[in-house]
Amino acid sequence: MGLIPYIEAKELSAFDNVFQKIEPTIEAVQKHMFPDGSKLPSALSMNVTQFLFETITHKSYDKDIRAFVLEGAEELIKREKGRFVSMTDREKEKALRAYEETNYGSNWLSRIMTLTMEGIFSDPVYGSNTKEAGWKALHAYGGLPRPKTRYIEL
Amino acid sequence: MKYDVVIVGSGASGGAVAYTLCKAGYKVAVLEKGRLIKREEFSKDELAYARRDIVTPSLFDEYHTIEEKVDGKWMATPTYESGWSFWNGNIVGGSSNLMSGMFHRMHPDDFRLKSKYGEIEGANVVDWPISYSDLEPYYTLAEELVGISGKYEKHPFEPPRSTPDFPQPPTKENAVVKLLDKSCKALDIVPLVTPRAVLSQDKGYRNACYYSNFCGSYGCSSGAKGSSREALLKPALATGNLTLMSNSYVKYLHTGKKDKVEYAVVVDTITGKEKKIFGKMFVVAAQAHESARLLLNSANRYHPDGLANSSGELGKNLIFSAGGSGQGELHEESLKEIKFEALMETGLFVNRSILDWYFIDHWWDGKFKGGSVEFMFEHQNIISRAHKNNEEDGRLVWGKALGEKLVKRFTQSKSIRFEIFNDWLPNDDCFVSLDETHKDKYGMPVGKLRLEAHPQDLKVGKYIAKKCEKIFEEMGAQNIYSSISSSPPQNLVAGGCRFGNDPKTSVLNKYCQSHDVPNLFVADASFMPTGGSVPYTWTIYANAFRISDYIVEQLQQG
Repeated sequence: MGLIPYIEAKELSAFDNVFQKIEPTIEAVQKHMFPDGSKLPSALSMNVTQFLFETITHKSYDKDIRAFVLEGAEELIKREKGRFVSMTDREKEKALRAYEETNYGSNWLSRIMTLTMEGIFSDPVYGSNTKEAGWKALHAYGGLPRPKTRYIEL
Repeated sequence: MKYDVVIVGSGASGGAVAYTLCKAGYKVAVLEKGRLIKREEFSKDELAYARRDIVTPSLFDEYHTIEEKVDGKWMATPTYESGWSFWNGNIVGGSSNLMSGMFHRMHPDDFRLKSKYGEIEGANVVDWPISYSDLEPYYTLAEELVGISGKYEKHPFEPPRSTPDFPQPPTKENAVVKLLDKSCKALDIVPLVTPRAVLSQDKGYRNACYYSNFCGSYGCSSGAKGSSREALLKPALATGNLTLMSNSYVKYLHTGKKDKVEYAVVVDTITGKEKKIFGKMFVVAAQAHESARLLLNSANRYHPDGLANSSGELGKNLIFSAGGSGQGELHEESLKEIKFEALMETGLFVNRSILDWYFIDHWWDGKFKGGSVEFMFEHQNIISRAHKNNEEDGRLVWGKALGEKLVKRFTQSKSIRFEIFNDWLPNDDCFVSLDETHKDKYGMPVGKLRLEAHPQDLKVGKYIAKKCEKIFEEMGAQNIYSSISSSPPQNLVAGGCRFGNDPKTSVLNKYCQSHDVPNLFVADASFMPTGGSVPYTWTIYANAFRISDYIVEQLQQG
């Protein structure tokens, strides 16, 4: 999906390699948290996995948390023996709530939730919150002036 | 090139000194570690300004270590591990760009706390070497130059003033003040209009507030907010006397002779190149904990314990603002007095404060120093408000339930908050020193902060919080809570270079000039032996204007 321009643009770094492996899992978690038919725009319509990738690879992002995002996904894959992405909604719910019972899993899920909300509710300049659908859902809009570039790169 | 005055830091105090000296015709250099963001470049980008270290250094590059007592031993944790940043806006104009601008003068009795209330065990309370009357003309000057809007109302704890009223009327207010005022009055509490460093009317090149709904934590796009950059550095630059050097990190001050700073050793943060900046006078204005660190890092053979530290007091008695905050939700279905649509109108200020408990002298509660209260809406940041509402019973809420919950929270209620400001009692376990092992990316030892609070601070905070919760109950708010903590707010920091008349017990004299090194001044909040019970910024501006006049006199005498 959206990672292809990055992958083609440069040689695969170790990070990109790992991310490619865990991307379907992260995407599935985001879709489960922000499904279709909710009062909030869905993960699918908000380009949130691409946002998450671009966010955690930006230099402003804490490198320890970047590593944690990857490791937590690998852990989820391992716990569910590689089956998580192909589970039904009900099975996913069970798997994620069980993961949440662990401290580690709870922290990781919270991190994925935060990274997804940061996409849906930040300025569309960051590539998510498409057509301000996140803001429209909450009747809450970012202030003026809006950013013209990401991360105050003037 | 040798400047008349070299200023380290471009925040509130650095700006006030630069302004005064430049206007008086002296050549001034301001060294600012951060970059310049101009008025037209600011935006309300929540992700960048409120959720990432973009206007502050990355904690992996520059950080502090925080000492906490674990099993009776002091253990230091670097902030890159905890994520608890003690940087507050490292851009031209400093954190004054990002303030909410709730301004109060300190009370005359704040200058003589020890005489008024006596010793408190475990606290290092002393009287100031100056009185309110020394500072009053400069509070007034700051009102005019910085641009403070407000409305004077007589109150027993409102300090006297030399002019009848503020230069500008208050900023526009949300209808919630009708409900708040009525509720306060029902409880015999006097609500006052908050003076604010935000223009309600155009002022020269600065435009009136445009009520963006995102004021605190963000730069101002109309010039209404009285930041050092907007109000002072711009006119200082217009004199042609100011050399503003951004991206300039000061490693240390060099004293060749025992009693004189000769130059600052500066790193260009873009190229990494080092240079020396020479001056006749040096003014340190790097924010309290960093000013003390710079002087400690300037130790040499003449000053083995740090510059201006013959007293051994440098870095000691660091103070913050004690207190905490509370919140309550105003819901559509139970809203009294005002229309819900009016409550939901965005951008307008709450503009109310309470001074009724500044000093408490009660037949049952006793006689003690209290504090002030500010009211505001919950910060309107969207990501953070959404994030705060995504948990229930310790579990994340997701899926359709999250959609229901957030839409309800955002569209059917609005939260109002109070913040309490009371004295952070100076004590032996709140200070900044140099970390023995950790260095920043420029190779300089980082500041190590020990941050213990005195138990009295908590007692006072809780006392006031209870009264504020009653106001919210009276307003019909729901889910009221308050949180009073001994954890310091990193953006409200002062002390570390106490001023006083005795060189044995203080770092600075009453003009904030080093007792040891006459061409060295510290202009920021470092000088404060006690902090008062209001936000510091107005006092920082006023005091910096005051000592600037003295620096001008010194320069005139050669």
